[in-house]
Amino acid sequence: MSTTTTDPAASGTALERRGIPLGDLLFRGAAAAAAYGVVVLLGLITWKILDLAWPAIQEFGLEFIWTEAWNPVTDTYGALTFIYGTVVTSVIALLLATPLSIAIALFLTEIAPRRLAAPIATMIELLAAIPSVVLGLWGILVFGPWVAQHLEPWLESTLGFLPIFSGDPSQAGMLPAALVLTIMIIPITSAICRELFIRTPRELTDGAMALGSTRWEAIRGVMFAYAAPGIAAAVLLGLGRAFGEAIAVTQVIGGADYISRSLFAPADTLGSRIASQYQGATSQLQAGSLLYLAAILMVISLVTNVLAQLIVRKFEKQRRAV
Amino acid sequence: MKRALTLVIALAAISAVALVAGRAQAAPTAGQDTNLTGAGATFPYPLISKWIPELAKAYGININYSPTGSGAGIASITARTVDFGASDAPLSSSQLADCKSCVVVPWALSATSVPYNIPGVNGRLKLDGPTLASIYLGRITNWNDAAIKRLNGSLNLPDLKITPVYRSDGSGTTYNFTEYLSSVSPAFKSEVGVNTSVSWKTGVGARGSSGVAGVVKSTAGALTYVDVAYSIANKFQFATIRNRAGKFATPGLRGINAAVSKLPKKVTSLQQLKIVDPPASAGPLAYPIVTFTYVIVPTNSSKAADLRKMVYWAVTRGQQFGPPLLFAKLPVPVQAFAFREIKKIQAT
Repeated sequence: MSTTTTDPAASGTALERRGIPLGDLLFRGAAAAAAYGVVVLLGLITWKILDLAWPAIQEFGLEFIWTEAWNPVTDTYGALTFIYGTVVTSVIALLLATPLSIAIALFLTEIAPRRLAAPIATMIELLAAIPSVVLGLWGILVFGPWVAQHLEPWLESTLGFLPIFSGDPSQAGMLPAALVLTIMIIPITSAICRELFIRTPRELTDGAMALGSTRWEAIRGVMFAYAAPGIAAAVLLGLGRAFGEAIAVTQVIGGADYISRSLFAPADTLGSRIASQYQGATSQLQAGSLLYLAAILMVISLVTNVLAQLIVRKFEKQRRAV
Repeated sequence: MKRALTLVIALAAISAVALVAGRAQAAPTAGQDTNLTGAGATFPYPLISKWIPELAKAYGININYSPTGSGAGIASITARTVDFGASDAPLSSSQLADCKSCVVVPWALSATSVPYNIPGVNGRLKLDGPTLASIYLGRITNWNDAAIKRLNGSLNLPDLKITPVYRSDGSGTTYNFTEYLSSVSPAFKSEVGVNTSVSWKTGVGARGSSGVAGVVKSTAGALTYVDVAYSIANKFQFATIRNRAGKFATPGLRGINAAVSKLPKKVTSLQQLKIVDPPASAGPLAYPIVTFTYVIVPTNSSKAADLRKMVYWAVTRGQQFGPPLLFAKLPVPVQAFAFREIKKIQAT
């Protein structure tokens, strides 16, 4: 905020010198301390993770990343099963959640009568307020059995020729975990998309419609183009959430130590493995390996975040060019 | 409307704060000023929770126990972030060395049950060790397998896939169960082994007793292992297991007591307390999946006097609280072993 001479709050020169600069200084200091504090904290956390993971890093080296093994009896560990599980569950969740979220946002901003839109929006946001452990319990007791008894047999009978949709239905596995993640990221992405659609200048869509485009053409050609970078960011935010989720996934994924071809079979993710085994780790190497998994998860999240920013920037450039 | 709501929220917050503050104030006055913190096994937690108020009454010792799991208990006491640790698995020699002058005292005794969910089967399922091991190795996959039918002549077992369910987190029950399967099946011993968490060849993992119970409840054909108190509290149907005497035993108190009846008259080392798969001489009732659970105490600590009192009380008067929770009382030779170990706890 720039102060001008006409601002009544800054009329006296004495006040300007004594009061406001001091307040400004304090505010600046507090803001800077908060910002740097976060950076320092992140640095310390990273250092500590690497420090605790060191026994495993020394023992297994980079080979850890592409080794498929997790055996506390023989003390041999590898991350491949969990990297695979994390990527597959998150990508499935993303593929399902993105179109659904955009559809929800469009419905709420364009189609639903206003009286209905507000309560539905609130309900969807409430979905985000369900603690993940509760969602996981619901996954074990209600959703998982439904998936095993209805969804997976149906998938197998229609798409069973694909190896990923064959095999024995199981209430704990990759698919139930991916679906629970989908439920968890829909509120985030749909809320952001809705916000983006609301903020699309009315004149743009009105203009498009005045030029003879249908409502759908206006939405597709104008609204989507305008909101594209934001949607990309929202999707990647959801992906970040899916990567990091641990507790709900632990409860429904079935904690397997090996990679299965079928999506119905038990698997495990990085976050879920850390959540389920860190407390009970029996050897230093096991604890170190779990933190090695944490380090890998951090790197994956960092890479997705950087990618997100690159995508957003690219969209921005395109939009400006248009 | 909005203001009223704010007021209500503010009032709720104030009363919550007052409640917490009140409790925090009330706690230290209940006993005297000695506090012991412990962490570890979840298996004996129901029993320890019974002990805590009794110990506060008897000696004014306030115990704060976090059931974080056996592995975490060992790690915490090794790092001395707690006053005592608890574990269902006895410490390995390297763990004992890392702990630097710790004693490991057996303080509770219970069994692991094998619950199952086979719809439409009336009567109790019978299993033996080798069959159970084959199921968990993925070699027996259907309930109508000949090996299972042979054990259950009278039961009409369906053509149904077996889903073995295991704990995905580190657990003393897993230790007890894998210890048993390894001692009856060489194949299981070489392919899986014994630990609080192992690399399972097949099946579905779930977190905690409640997690595996949830999966078993909703999966037809599932089979798992949980401590017997949990099984009974949740009214699970569990299998009887064939012992060395050739009889099918149940994990009740009589089964547990029979299993430890053939311990040496004088117990001198922890190795002698491995009691899974007891010999035929233990009798027809002996249940084969039984375990001691241990408290780990540093021999030199500033709180030695209180620790000694606590452990001594637990292995003597504390034992009477066990049976209702399906913890059997410690056999006399084990109690004598515990006394000798307790003597090693000395003040610095």
